[in-house]
Amino acid sequence: MMWLPVLGLIIGVTLGLLTEIDVPHEYRNYLSIAVLAALDTFIGGIRAQLQNVFDEKIFVSGFFFNMILAASLAFIGVHLGVDLYLAAVFAFGVRLFQNIAVIRRVLITRWDQARKNRKETEK
Amino acid sequence: MKINRIVLSLVFLVSGFMIAFSYQLTKEDTSEIQMTDSEWERTVKLRNELIQMEKKNRKLQNELFQKQDELIKIENEFSKGEKKLVNYAKEAEELRKALGHVKVKGEGLIVTLDDGTYRPEEGNINQFIVHEHHVLKVVNELYISGAESVAINGKRLHAQSYIVCNGPVITVDGVQFPAPFEISAIGDKETLEKAITLKGGVRDQLIQDNVVVKIEKSDDIIMEPVVKSG
Repeated sequence: MMWLPVLGLIIGVTLGLLTEIDVPHEYRNYLSIAVLAALDTFIGGIRAQLQNVFDEKIFVSGFFFNMILAASLAFIGVHLGVDLYLAAVFAFGVRLFQNIAVIRRVLITRWDQARKNRKETEK
Repeated sequence: MKINRIVLSLVFLVSGFMIAFSYQLTKEDTSEIQMTDSEWERTVKLRNELIQMEKKNRKLQNELFQKQDELIKIENEFSKGEKKLVNYAKEAEELRKALGHVKVKGEGLIVTLDDGTYRPEEGNINQFIVHEHHVLKVVNELYISGAESVAINGKRLHAQSYIVCNGPVITVDGVQFPAPFEISAIGDKETLEKAITLKGGVRDQLIQDNVVVKIEKSDDIIMEPVVKSG
């Protein structure tokens, strides 16, 4: 059953590489912000999965909501003359690193746990 | 669970699409930027060169305008000079006419002086013939009245001409002429005639000296240029 999301990812990547739509320069910021939001949600999802608190509803809603929020934040920022997208970048970046750090720790503890278990079984 | 998988794959699709799309855009962007980066210095250099060229061009253009102005000035001076030249040419023409170096043609007056009929009871025969001073008088009067050139019996007078009384004949520039003397003058015929026929003027004086004076106007007198001797 895991092949369906992978297929979606592959189709998405190919579509993205094949699209020839040219986004105007002033809207590129929104796109990158949205991408950042998507990445953040992904990493957050992986972390939640590893911490066994993964909820698909939260994940999916967070994915789209974060993207739209980030884009609209950037949009408002541009129109207010405040670089609000920097706030989004900052927030997402910090969260990204934190999440990655959590994932790393969880993985390391699991690995350690596994080694200890193996040693114990050997004894 | 199955629906959730589908939703998940949709999320993956969207995120994959977005990441790939963004990547592609950024790649294009950076490639563009890289291109301009490598071309930037060259562009600036070329632009500077262009600006310099344009400056130079403008300078040259101004120079050209200045030169054209100068040229116009010079041409004006030149045309002035030409006018002067024309004047000089006219003057030279006049002087040549006076010197008798050119053929002259035009209207004028012909004054014919003849010896009077000799009447012995009235005195010396010398009083009845035409003398050189009579001729001179007429010639002078004609010149004063604006005659361009004068000839006696077809002998053109010029600046160094001389008239000598030599008995019954008159010598003009070494050529002897008997009476009658035909003095032709080119000029305004009316003026010349009036000058000669002035009351108490030349004609009256000549008549007093028993000279037969005949005056006729002509529309077409031709005078050959003086052949320079020696």
